[in-house]
Amino acid sequence: MKNPDEPFFCDKDAEDSPGATGTPAVRNRIQQLADQQPYAVLCIQGEGQPYGALVAFAFSEDLQHAVFVTPVATRKYRLLSECDHVALVIDNRPNKADELMEIEAVTVTGRSQMIERGPEFDKWAGLLVTRHPYLKTFVKAATCALFRVDVVRFLHVARFQEVNQWIPGTHS
Amino acid sequence: MDSGHPLLIQLDAPGHWDEQLVGGKAAKLAQLTCAGFEVPRGFCLTTRAYQAFVQNAGITAALRMELGRKSMDDMRWEEIWDAALRIRATFLAQPLDGVLRETIAQGLAGFDASTPLAVRSSAVGEDAAGRSFAGLHESIIGVRGQQAVEDAVRLVWASLWSDAALLYRKELGLDAANSRMAVLVQKMVDADRSGVAFARDPRDMRKERALIESVPGPCRLLVDGLVDPDRWELDRRTGRIITWLPGQRDNAQHDAPLLEPRDLEQILDTLLSVEQLFGWSPDMEWTGQSDSLTVLQARPITTAGPEQDEKRAWFLSLRPGDARLRVLRKRVAEQLIPELESVGQVFAAEQLDLLDHRQLAGAIEQRSAALAKWKKIYWDDFIPFAHGVRRLAIYYNDAVQAEDPYEFVGLLRSQPLVATQRNEAIGQLAEKLAANDTLRSALERLLAEFAGSIDWPASRDMLMNNADGAEDFVRGFDDLKERFFDIAYDQERLYDQPEVMLRNLIELSRTRSQSHGDEPVMGDTVVALEQRLLEAVGPERRAEALEVIETGRVSWKLRDDDNLLVARLESQLLRALDEAARRLRMLGRLTGDERPNAAHVEAMVRALREPSTGQITLEATARIPAAALSSAPSGEAPRQLIGQPASPGAATGTVRCVHGRHDLGRFRQGEVLVCDAIQPTMTHLVPLASAIVERRGGMLIHGAIIARELGIPCVNGVRDAAEILKNGDLVTVDGHLGIVTVGAAEFDLELGVTRR
Repeated sequence: MKNPDEPFFCDKDAEDSPGATGTPAVRNRIQQLADQQPYAVLCIQGEGQPYGALVAFAFSEDLQHAVFVTPVATRKYRLLSECDHVALVIDNRPNKADELMEIEAVTVTGRSQMIERGPEFDKWAGLLVTRHPYLKTFVKAATCALFRVDVVRFLHVARFQEVNQWIPGTHS
Repeated sequence: MDSGHPLLIQLDAPGHWDEQLVGGKAAKLAQLTCAGFEVPRGFCLTTRAYQAFVQNAGITAALRMELGRKSMDDMRWEEIWDAALRIRATFLAQPLDGVLRETIAQGLAGFDASTPLAVRSSAVGEDAAGRSFAGLHESIIGVRGQQAVEDAVRLVWASLWSDAALLYRKELGLDAANSRMAVLVQKMVDADRSGVAFARDPRDMRKERALIESVPGPCRLLVDGLVDPDRWELDRRTGRIITWLPGQRDNAQHDAPLLEPRDLEQILDTLLSVEQLFGWSPDMEWTGQSDSLTVLQARPITTAGPEQDEKRAWFLSLRPGDARLRVLRKRVAEQLIPELESVGQVFAAEQLDLLDHRQLAGAIEQRSAALAKWKKIYWDDFIPFAHGVRRLAIYYNDAVQAEDPYEFVGLLRSQPLVATQRNEAIGQLAEKLAANDTLRSALERLLAEFAGSIDWPASRDMLMNNADGAEDFVRGFDDLKERFFDIAYDQERLYDQPEVMLRNLIELSRTRSQSHGDEPVMGDTVVALEQRLLEAVGPERRAEALEVIETGRVSWKLRDDDNLLVARLESQLLRALDEAARRLRMLGRLTGDERPNAAHVEAMVRALREPSTGQITLEATARIPAAALSSAPSGEAPRQLIGQPASPGAATGTVRCVHGRHDLGRFRQGEVLVCDAIQPTMTHLVPLASAIVERRGGMLIHGAIIARELGIPCVNGVRDAAEILKNGDLVTVDGHLGIVTVGAAEFDLELGVTRR
């Protein structure tokens, strides 16, 4: 609780220090959301046409990569083949309009690439299947493509308008 | 209607004592009524009525938005008060629907339209044993007629979310979706004796003692602490009077007790009967005497710990009632402020160089003691009196029901604040500079040449020799210093920092020579707003309304001036310490360049008094708050910060953080002023700023009001604003939405990123 009308003359003893409460680091909040939510909206584009689709995802431990899968006959696959600029939106929105202030969302931007079958594929597919065991057969199918998103930036939104950015892999 | 969950229950209807439905107060009064105790006749609008209202009027969503905007743990009390004011306006803006109006009409059918009624809160859980939140919610008295009752009911509902309730939100378990309140509507009964009685001594419940307090007139005079009561301690078993302590009323002690022994006996009997009925020892409000004793309220005695008592006492002192405000206004405006002003003048007039060492030590102690005394007065009297502005806000909004809950601020415009007078004098000097290019160039050369070490007496001669018309400017500047800059800021005297002010004047002169943009929208005139309020309250409350306006204005003016006047005492303390430091340095007994401040009083006084102390060195005192040194974890950066929309408009500019006196002089026109709080000592920077961002939140704080008057966008209440934002950051300040966006609007898109 901050003092009311704190005086402007020097009276340090009587003041609370500003910013006494700490918000968990943005990275932790992003991690939490990514752990809690199984699905994301994948945003892609092609020939000037934006497109969105729901995907099951998994993140690497360092949050630098995300993976998802799609059958090759889909619009998703076609557009991803044309343009690798993608975004993923992950959120915890409930189905009630008046809980707006409790919603957290994160927009992940990055570049996608299809991973060819082989040890690399197995590694990323394993990550996805560990999180979504019901996709095991789906992932194995020859007509299923696995994409890895190399994350450029996270934008975390809370309380309707509070936005923080985190760029993974930056070290001080 | 669902008969199991009715909207209205008569107090004398048997069996309706469900606290979830009627709240704690009504449940107990209904039970007392049915048990044959004398209780004022009335009815209860149940929590169902509250729920129907908030759901139909869309208030739950508005509450969630208001309460979720920012973590309440990060809010200052003023911001919580602002939130409560907006919530109150939301409740008032929604009319009751037909069903609720009809329900109230049914309840009122039992009363004559001219009967004065009390409309009282009865929140669920407010009187639960072991915790009492008395005084957090509102009760409105003297209400007559259907419309007035409807208005009062909405106000009482809104008080479920009062500033006080929001402060105790955790203890109360306040929750937008589930919290609810019932409302009691009762006939007013005010006998010529009233009081509070405790079946046991709250300080020691084991003792077989009851306490009775009584005042002449209505009980609220006692509850609000306006009248000192007579107090009795009685033996619970025999009724014997153990002590009687007469109250101090009208500055006199009374010889005759307010109550006769038979009155005391009747009150004790009632207390014990209530205790028997409920099975717990009651704290009871009552009115009337032995033959007509009426119970106004009964709840379990709470034995709050000293910590809770202290917190509540502190909190209650922040929101004095009308009577207390009247007393405070007289004391503050007529006695304290003139006295404070005069103390400052006396100190300023004292010729310190004529004093010997011992006398100078005495002068330092005297100034230090005066500063401590006035800081205490600031907390005890000035801060509570600041409530005058908030009282005006509530009074205006209740009467006018304005769409904008801050419309009343227009009534405070054009008050002759010291800071306003100072800013006008600064403005005039800036005009002089703007009109005289030679003078301005000479001053700029001077500042460039002697950056950081301007010697004003030498500089003034240089200016006068080099520029025509400089004399007038120099005289004006000297006058400005003497009149307005004998104040301490950031532990230094601004009086000794002419360079800061000269740099600000150059910047201000640039704004003067440029054409102004759109004039700020000032809204209605002061006269029109005053008229609107007087029409809304009607002729019978005209005098009361004028008093509330006047108290609001005096409160607003003084809350600004008092800061400057106390800052002047600190400046005068620093002047005496500087004189001591000068002498001790000459004697070779003070080493180091550190200037003394309030923390060095003791060391300096001892050094002056005791030549044998030898050499002293002043310890440097930290000036930068620790938080300023912290930085966000690697790779993290804010993109949008949220605060309160304190002045409308939007502007993009580069950040200039003002942490201390050095930053004042660095401020450039068009920059975004970012600081912990705009202080009365720095309001002259505001016209230079393209926008303002403050950590300190509130719609009624200095920065917000000045920004609104000047039409400059302002967002305040931004957590850690001055630490998160850095000099040179590009920001867009959206004063409509309360958002500060960091970085260019187009943002750095991912296009340039190459594939890994």
